[in-house]
Amino acid sequence: MQIELAEILETIRMTEVEHFDIRTVTMGINLKDCSSDNLESLKQNIYEKVTRTAAEHVKTAEMIESDYGISIANKRVSITPLALVADGFYPEDFVEIAQVLDKAADNLGIDYLGGYSALVQKGFSKGDLSLIKSIPETLATTKHICSSINVATTKAGINMDAVYLMGQIIKETAAKTADQDGIGCAKLVVFANAPEDNPFIAGAFHGVSEPDIVVNVGISGPGVILRAVQEAPHHDFSSLAEKIKAMAFKITRAGEFVGRKVAEIQNIPFGIVDISLAPTPMPGDSIADILKAMGLEDVGAAGTTAALALLNDSVKRGGLMASSHVGGMSGAFIPISEDQGFISAAEKGHITLEKMEAMTSVCSVGIDMVAVAGDTSAEVIAGLIADECAIGVANSKTTAVRVIPVPGKGIGEAADYGGLLGVAPVMAISKLNNDQFIKRGGRIPAPVKGINN
Amino acid sequence: MSSLTEDQIRQIAKQAVEQLGDHATIENIEKVVHEAVQRLDGPVTKQNEQKSNPLPHQVKKGDRVIVTAFGTNKIGILAGMTGALAQMNCNVIDLSQKILQEFFTIMLLVDISQSSLHFDKIKEKLIETGAGFDLKVIVQHEQIFKTMHRV
Repeated sequence: MQIELAEILETIRMTEVEHFDIRTVTMGINLKDCSSDNLESLKQNIYEKVTRTAAEHVKTAEMIESDYGISIANKRVSITPLALVADGFYPEDFVEIAQVLDKAADNLGIDYLGGYSALVQKGFSKGDLSLIKSIPETLATTKHICSSINVATTKAGINMDAVYLMGQIIKETAAKTADQDGIGCAKLVVFANAPEDNPFIAGAFHGVSEPDIVVNVGISGPGVILRAVQEAPHHDFSSLAEKIKAMAFKITRAGEFVGRKVAEIQNIPFGIVDISLAPTPMPGDSIADILKAMGLEDVGAAGTTAALALLNDSVKRGGLMASSHVGGMSGAFIPISEDQGFISAAEKGHITLEKMEAMTSVCSVGIDMVAVAGDTSAEVIAGLIADECAIGVANSKTTAVRVIPVPGKGIGEAADYGGLLGVAPVMAISKLNNDQFIKRGGRIPAPVKGINN
Repeated sequence: MSSLTEDQIRQIAKQAVEQLGDHATIENIEKVVHEAVQRLDGPVTKQNEQKSNPLPHQVKKGDRVIVTAFGTNKIGILAGMTGALAQMNCNVIDLSQKILQEFFTIMLLVDISQSSLHFDKIKEKLIETGAGFDLKVIVQHEQIFKTMHRV
């Protein structure tokens, strides 16, 4: 069937004008076979496996970009949660391993490596605790390493000891990277119901049930969806949903195609397409702009949550048809600092943390790239994590918190991280005392809906 | 050596351990490993050689590419682009063009299977030719359009 000029022009407009790209092609690498009781051997095994397995990853992705004219913004690697691979070691050992991984990432030419992770929804192993305690030092002394900790699931409930500990770790991480506005916290996510095949940083890790090596793809394309919405200014919601769905189909197909090619050439299995809409700080590449184009004065207006729910679901409908395996987060991202529309709404006070919390119940991922005042206590941050976990656990969905208590800054100021991380205006958070609640410790039991057998 | 499979390396190590036992000096290990590598099957080594070749580009014989060029209309644009393609022995299968005000777009469906040049070189040459006419030229494999616009 002949391709028509209009279709070619639409594709080119998507890539050249509307910033459509494949956000990330992430190679997941199993490191369980690297285990050793000798730290030096473990470091060597890990370095060798990562650099050998992903040696051609960047080169292959660049070749696909050239052949098909679709840009792949990031080439990344995720690994088995390191707490599993290095269980039994001490926090200072974990920092050394992280530095080896950082060197491997440098060597491969990738920007981020995810999987400095632990899954502690029910409790800690010695390795889990060591890894968590090492996070502030690791994130302060490495460039490429990203960390994620899963503290809750619908099946296990919420590990409140872990929630409180992560509140403290986030504070410590901010303090250790105070000279860069606490940038370490931008590489640290606390999850409920973390997906094991997520290709997106900072939460990517290679789950324990994944094959030895796999390629997962994350699409992008808010700019393209924005045009679909702008072209339907007076349509009713049914036909607006149809417009978004049709566009989501096209971008997901491109994502799946690119991912399969990258996997095929390297002779490794293709995993999933994550059909999350991921914004960047570039003008027009914004989720907030899509919600505004639906008819809201700004994000934060009454109706914002409904608009986001419509967007999220319509993207899924198109994406599911386009891909044989959808996975990862697969929902719109609303990271404040990485989205020009959200940055401006936060500066004007149009969007509040409370409204964001409501929005996270209808999309992925959660309170993402939000800056709060540097004097926010570990208990308040833990409370924010607990609230997000409750939304995730009760609704059987992924939620997460990536919050930055910017050292020395308060309301009216902003932290500028540059690049894809963007600018984070400091947002207001309730300072009411919750110490007694957070310090109770133990686990919040799994909700009744989690017991579904 | 770097392209040996894990199984082969394990086999070699096993043979070395069996033969040397306590006599594992560096010289002895080198000798035994060398012999073990020699004993490995020929076809396996051949397969490894193929694997270490540069990555294959996705554009193969019989495949087609779509060349799109945009810019302001000028005399000789089409002749320039098709001329460059002819020089590289590329066959133009289909052509569309559209003029919106003074803005000019051409699309060429091209079979590059007869050309002795690699996709990268053809792409480079077309971009260079287009630049001579102030055109932005994009060269992409046809498959991406089929994937995105056809169920």
